Amino acid sequence: MASVIVNFELCGRDVEVLVQPMTTLQSVLRSQLGYTATKEGCRQGGCGSCTVLVDGEPMLSCLLPVEDVAGRRVVTLEGITPIDGLHPIQEAFLESNGFQCGYCTPGMVMVAKALLDHDPRPSREAIAGAISGNLCRCTGYQPIIDAIEKAADRLSGSGEQTGGR
Amino acid sequence: MTVTDYFLPRSLSEALDLLGARGPSLMVMAGGTVAMPLVNDGISLPTQVMGLRHAGLDELREEDGELYIGATVTLTRLLRQQALPVLSEAARNTASWSVRNMATVGGNLFTPPPGGDIAVALLALDTSVALTGPAGTRLIPLGAFYTGFMTNALQDGELLTGLRVPRVAGDTAFIKFGRKASNTPSVVTVAVRVARHDGTVTDARIALGAAGPHPLRASAAERVLAGSALGPEAIEAAAAVAAEESQPFSDGVASEWYRRKMIRLFVARALDRIWQGGEDR
Repeated sequence: MASVIVNFELCGRDVEVLVQPMTTLQSVLRSQLGYTATKEGCRQGGCGSCTVLVDGEPMLSCLLPVEDVAGRRVVTLEGITPIDGLHPIQEAFLESNGFQCGYCTPGMVMVAKALLDHDPRPSREAIAGAISGNLCRCTGYQPIIDAIEKAADRLSGSGEQTGGR
Repeated sequence: MTVTDYFLPRSLSEALDLLGARGPSLMVMAGGTVAMPLVNDGISLPTQVMGLRHAGLDELREEDGELYIGATVTLTRLLRQQALPVLSEAARNTASWSVRNMATVGGNLFTPPPGGDIAVALLALDTSVALTGPAGTRLIPLGAFYTGFMTNALQDGELLTGLRVPRVAGDTAFIKFGRKASNTPSVVTVAVRVARHDGTVTDARIALGAAGPHPLRASAAERVLAGSALGPEAIEAAAAVAAEESQPFSDGVASEWYRRKMIRLFVARALDRIWQGGEDR
């Protein structure tokens, strides 16, 4: 079978990969490019652990043939994490105990990023709706919703510590 | 992975040419939210696949009072359009944000029960589907598109290219009942539309999902409503008939017995919502 060359933008950088036809973006990210923050979960579109942003919108990299993102802008968790620190959303997850095992966290953070880009002050209901496709089997979700609320407070500039919930 | 060729046509004519040349063994995929899981798990082992994401079938426009929805319009775009709130509601109740960013309206029509919630709302709006082949496009009612469980009226060489939702009279209600608040497969999905004149029902649609081998209309229940004065009595009668004429099934989500009970309950609730809403929106 003939391999194909695909070009796209990954975390601000142009990348070119040589793949078998219909290889998933998830597999390319992890196995070829070493971007391992994006997790492989169910490979069914049911768990959200492989969520990445394509042109700013959350999508499931396990269901995306990499050819489909040719020429598009892909951002993974690596793309929003500063070299010498954490993104405010990551900090909020850390402070709110928004993870235990951490497997769902990259997907959760990417959905949170997209949500806050669209809606800087989402309600708890809107947050719960946004992460409804991201399964967490540790936290019971409330600490994750707390974390996203806290990140929203900080990113939208109120800057106030809301205190423990 | 068994795929040797993955085609991403850039136009409808290119897509139709590929389909004509490769025949029925060419797997057609739009958003990939149904097909890719099967491929990932090795349940589906296609060698040739055509992805429609870039084929230019994603037009969404209002014309002459109709809403035209291209086959690859995503569920997110359906949710955000404001011409037909009942379609937004159906999209909001389908899957998760990430899936809605990928899944398409056309693809949803091929999703087997208990999926296919968008089609339920579309049936209540008298939607037609455009099937395009080498000889041109034919428009058929969505109800005639379904011919059985995972079978449809598409002929060899044809693609579903879009949907036409006419301007229709009446009030609508949509309820999806699942086991969770959101992102959940359907126990039952109900869409109703009722047009009235002086309190008398002039036209009624009752569409059901997860209530048979494909999304369907409860025609006998619609006939019960037609000509009646919409109220508790007519609503109860129509709901009972809808439950009786539907063909629910048992799966991991719900049993046939339970689904039938819920069909009756939620048809009544949807109609009740319209009745309580008053004569005019």
